[in-house]
Amino acid sequence: MGATTDLIDRRNFIKMAGAAWVATLGARGAFALERADAVFASAFMAPDGRYGVATLTEAGEIVERTVLPARAHGMAHSAASKRMVAFARRPGTYAMILSTDGSAAPVVIAAAEGRHFYGHGCFSADGRLLYATENDFAANRGMIGIYDGSKHFARVGEFPTYGIGPHDMTLSADGRMLAIANGGIETHPDFGRTKLNLDHMEPSLTLVDTETGALVQKHTLPADLSRLSTRHVDIGPKGEIWFACQYEGARDDLPPLVGHFSHGEDLAFMALPESTTEALANYVGAIAVNRNEGLIGLTSPKGGIAVTLDARSGVVLRQEHVTDAAGVAAADHGFAVSSYDGRFRDHENPVAWDQHIIRLARS
Amino acid sequence: MSPMPSLAFGLALTALSLPAVAQEGSALSPRVVNEAAVPAVMAKAVDDFIIPGYRNLSEKTAALTKTSTDLCETPSTASKEKAQAAFSELVQAWSTVEIIRLGPALEQNRFERFLFYPDRKSTGLKQVQAILAKRDETATDVASLKGKSVAAQGLGALEYVLYGNGSEVLAGKEGDFRCRYVMAISQNLDAIANEFLTEWQKPDGIKAAWKKPGPGNPEFRDSKEAATELLGIFVHGVEMVKDQRLKPFYAGTVDGVPDKGHPKSAIYWRSQNTMPSIAANIAGLKTLFDAADMQSLLPEDSRSVAGSADFVFKSVIGISQNIDGPIADAIADDKSRAKLDFLTLNTADLLDRLNKDFGGAIGLGAGFSFADGD
Repeated sequence: MGATTDLIDRRNFIKMAGAAWVATLGARGAFALERADAVFASAFMAPDGRYGVATLTEAGEIVERTVLPARAHGMAHSAASKRMVAFARRPGTYAMILSTDGSAAPVVIAAAEGRHFYGHGCFSADGRLLYATENDFAANRGMIGIYDGSKHFARVGEFPTYGIGPHDMTLSADGRMLAIANGGIETHPDFGRTKLNLDHMEPSLTLVDTETGALVQKHTLPADLSRLSTRHVDIGPKGEIWFACQYEGARDDLPPLVGHFSHGEDLAFMALPESTTEALANYVGAIAVNRNEGLIGLTSPKGGIAVTLDARSGVVLRQEHVTDAAGVAAADHGFAVSSYDGRFRDHENPVAWDQHIIRLARS
Repeated sequence: MSPMPSLAFGLALTALSLPAVAQEGSALSPRVVNEAAVPAVMAKAVDDFIIPGYRNLSEKTAALTKTSTDLCETPSTASKEKAQAAFSELVQAWSTVEIIRLGPALEQNRFERFLFYPDRKSTGLKQVQAILAKRDETATDVASLKGKSVAAQGLGALEYVLYGNGSEVLAGKEGDFRCRYVMAISQNLDAIANEFLTEWQKPDGIKAAWKKPGPGNPEFRDSKEAATELLGIFVHGVEMVKDQRLKPFYAGTVDGVPDKGHPKSAIYWRSQNTMPSIAANIAGLKTLFDAADMQSLLPEDSRSVAGSADFVFKSVIGISQNIDGPIADAIADDKSRAKLDFLTLNTADLLDRLNKDFGGAIGLGAGFSFADGD
């Protein structure tokens, strides 16, 4: 009941209305994403309070936009299957898959009974399967929902994330593992977004076999970092997994916020300068890797800052003030950064960008 | 979000029209946080609302402990009614401060131990019934009760013991066990209420952190972070009323068809405290809004934003106080249901006014994000 009823209402709405709604989009959808100048995509809120996703040029001009049934958060893209997906913000109940070349109608999927989306996911290496981080909220366990693009994105199975409160998830460089940031924070749709276990969090990072769902590797954090929520991931130049954190402990602590690990190796935190940790306000909202240039990009809406690190040395190369910094994604050179107040690189748009940007084109 | 507006929205697939320039023609002053005004607002929030609110809570838990002790010593219908009246007064006090769901409330499961709701699978109810059926003496000692499930030691459990099946035994000697369970829960609530007060009164604790945002502060590094936390109390408080308190028992009228409702999912339905509690939630928010002088955060040319929030606050409180009797009767009655519909609409309106209008005007990005984990 309560928000759970709400969740079910919305899920039923998606089931009933999703099909009709999607039909109105037509085979090519509202998007013509094959346009070569569409390089980035991001979710947004329009001034009238409606939500959507937009594609943008390298410079940050909006190419096209479409509406979504509710606020979206993370996105993923598959060059192999020419699809992209926008996930509802947690505790969300829908994800919308769009064809980036207009070859297939958009598909809206609803979260399964007893599950909600956390707002992130990724495609399999061949682009056929879509993986979504989900909450089995009755059991308080993180799950990976598996949706098959060859079956109209029917939910064909699920794996555990081997942790609680999973958030971001990405595919390993070899395509054989899912790298998951289990933020360790318990939430339940009955209580909205309230964090229920801040004094006994269980953050972890896990690698899960895409074929079998078996746990390949799990890193929990040491006791003194139990309030460090591991939330976002991206793949580095050598296939290493970079992760970024949000700290739920005392505001004047200086916890490590960024690190990386590889299959078979321990976690390695980057020792950021104190001034950078302070500037990030103990809260990294998004992380991206520019693999061509060997750079790590971080944004913090709390700190109002965008930071660029050298992936090899961890040296801070750039630290730029960006009020309400939202998303970050690899650009031709360096990173594209957006903000809640509508900035995207050099352009101002009258929308509020959500927390993440994906890159559609190869940089 | 109710399904219908989404449906209408989903099907009206017109391209979004975006104005060419964000603040076109706008002559309003820049929307930035008034840093100078924040520390005074935070200090007033603590000194004039939070601490007095928890002090009132601890007075009500003490009063309840006394009436429940009297009830156990001299059981009678009159002393049972006194204990029930003390319960209702405690619900008022708690509903006023439960909007402060941060700091000490998030530690040691204090919030859930005080109030476990919603109890979707009736786990709490089953545990309480088992305690009563088995005469589990460990539930009548506050020290061992504290270690039991959160669902068996707070207001929900107490309401069942005072008002649920079999509660009539409390008026006589045969209610001895049940009464001692009432007493243990009362003492437990009293202890938690005193912890809240102690934590907030510590000179070097959260109080100091709230009053002086800045480097080296364990809560807020600057005034903007502090203002965000304070605005969050209002936004999350109204969201709670809208999504977690009203919607569970009545989802509104959609296309002229009223939801048939789920009266037994309503908070405090047994004691008929559902609407008084909701009224106290919103009244608590309004008291905080006024006590902290939230409007001093607004630029001079946007003071009307506070006035319109005040208007909707009053209207929501007024209508909540105007729905009487058992909640099942209210849902079944056309006039009361119309009031519930009005309340539902106005709660959504209040949320927008606080989150978008007020949040935007005080320079907090129109309530788009509290950077709370996404």
